[in-house]
Amino acid sequence: MIVLDNVTKRYPGSQEALSNVSFSIDQGEMVYVTGHSGAGKSTLLKLVAAIERPSNGTVLINNQNLSQLRESALPYIRRKFGLIFQDHKLLYDRNCYQNVALPLAINGITGADAAKRIRAALDKVGLLHKEKVMPITLSGGEQQRLAIARAVVSRPSILIADEPTGNLDKVYASDILNLFSAFQQVGVTVIIATHDALGAAGQYHKILHLDHGRLINQQVTTP
Amino acid sequence: MNTWLIHHTQALTLVLTRFKTNLFSHLFIGLTIAVSLALPMIAYLILSSFNGLVSAIKSDSHLSVFLSTEATPTMIDSIHNTLATREGIKQFQFVSKEDALKQLMADNNNQDVMLTLSENPLPDAFFIEPTTLDSATIQQLKDTLTKIDGIDHVQVDDAWLKRIGYLLEIGKKALFVLAMLLGFALFTVIGNTIRMQILTQQEEIEVSQLIGATHRFIRRPFLYAGAIYGTIGTLFAMLITSIVIGLFNSSIEALATEYQTDFSLHFPGIAVLLVTGLIAITIGLFSAYIAVSKSLFKSIN
Repeated sequence: MIVLDNVTKRYPGSQEALSNVSFSIDQGEMVYVTGHSGAGKSTLLKLVAAIERPSNGTVLINNQNLSQLRESALPYIRRKFGLIFQDHKLLYDRNCYQNVALPLAINGITGADAAKRIRAALDKVGLLHKEKVMPITLSGGEQQRLAIARAVVSRPSILIADEPTGNLDKVYASDILNLFSAFQQVGVTVIIATHDALGAAGQYHKILHLDHGRLINQQVTTP
Repeated sequence: MNTWLIHHTQALTLVLTRFKTNLFSHLFIGLTIAVSLALPMIAYLILSSFNGLVSAIKSDSHLSVFLSTEATPTMIDSIHNTLATREGIKQFQFVSKEDALKQLMADNNNQDVMLTLSENPLPDAFFIEPTTLDSATIQQLKDTLTKIDGIDHVQVDDAWLKRIGYLLEIGKKALFVLAMLLGFALFTVIGNTIRMQILTQQEEIEVSQLIGATHRFIRRPFLYAGAIYGTIGTLFAMLITSIVIGLFNSSIEALATEYQTDFSLHFPGIAVLLVTGLIAITIGLFSAYIAVSKSLFKSIN
């Protein structure tokens, strides 16, 4: 469902962030993107999530070529993804409930239907009892889980997480990884970028290892 | 409810909530906008009031035709017929010398002078209102009339009207320039205000874009904000203008009574409200659109 073919990404005034990367991801896979910092992990995720367009090569998402889509069509592609950012990107001027409500508002879902889905998402990450709390008062792990609730509330088929465990201690980190593998088990494709050792959770792993913008190793592990 | 309607309700609710939480600062912005709107509004109302006064005078006689004192009733009848058939005359009125004297006598100030006169010094007269205000045509009419037997003197009394006409023209141009300049000021005020709001909501805009908000979705609340500023500004401007005109009118009416007219400045009516509102909302929408388009989409691509 996601295919990258000979993709190169160049930012103006800098060298190639990604060079000639090719791989494909199937529905329901758990994919880790690994590599040192600056290897191009975030760029890769941005290309997959239709936030950036490739300089060269083809990115296919559900058989739609990203380079050929009009600018105005990209937001609709982005809605297929649930995005979890390294710095959470939570909005600190509103409470947990309202943070999770944002993707639904963008999709035009409001009222009782939205409330049901927001509470379900909060429940899934164990934050239902904190819906009225402001995110600034949450711990790092809780903020990350809130970000996950926001990513899954619109029921995306693909979850993309950039360094979701980067700033967390081991207990919290395995907590988060368990959450991701729970989503993978119900058929959601999960793509995680990480620079540290991989979690043990998950059924079916694909590992994409990047080094200086090149995909140097692609391995698949089945338990 | 369809998605389109939901999105608009959402945006409007969001904007109104933001206005409510910062009511005072928004009201002050509204007042600033109102001043920009009220000045041309007041200037327009003063001009249109004078315009009304001048056209009222214009509809009075334009040519005064004084007959010679020897004019016989037959000659008067013949002149009457000539005027009735001639083109270019909208209407005319005959005032006999007796009537003219009576009118003069009616004014107390003149009575003493009149009583010293042994006979009526006034001529019979026609007062003519031409169909056109074009001075060449009127001059032609004057020349024709002067040649008619029994007519002693034809006077065109539009010289000062012309001057007022020119003054009003200058006034209209000044109003136009004032409106343009203040319109530009309005554009800047609303644009900068929206830009400030965008800065405070930069994070939300960025996140929304990342998770799939369309440009339109991001722009919508700011467009509503621009339109609301225009509306609030218009309402305040109506208030300011009404207060100013009410304040001046009491004095102007007193002055006008001294001149035996009932001149007063017009209050802003529904037409002024609608036109000002339409212009202000358009400027609000336009400047908000430009502000958002300039400030957005820096974080992505």
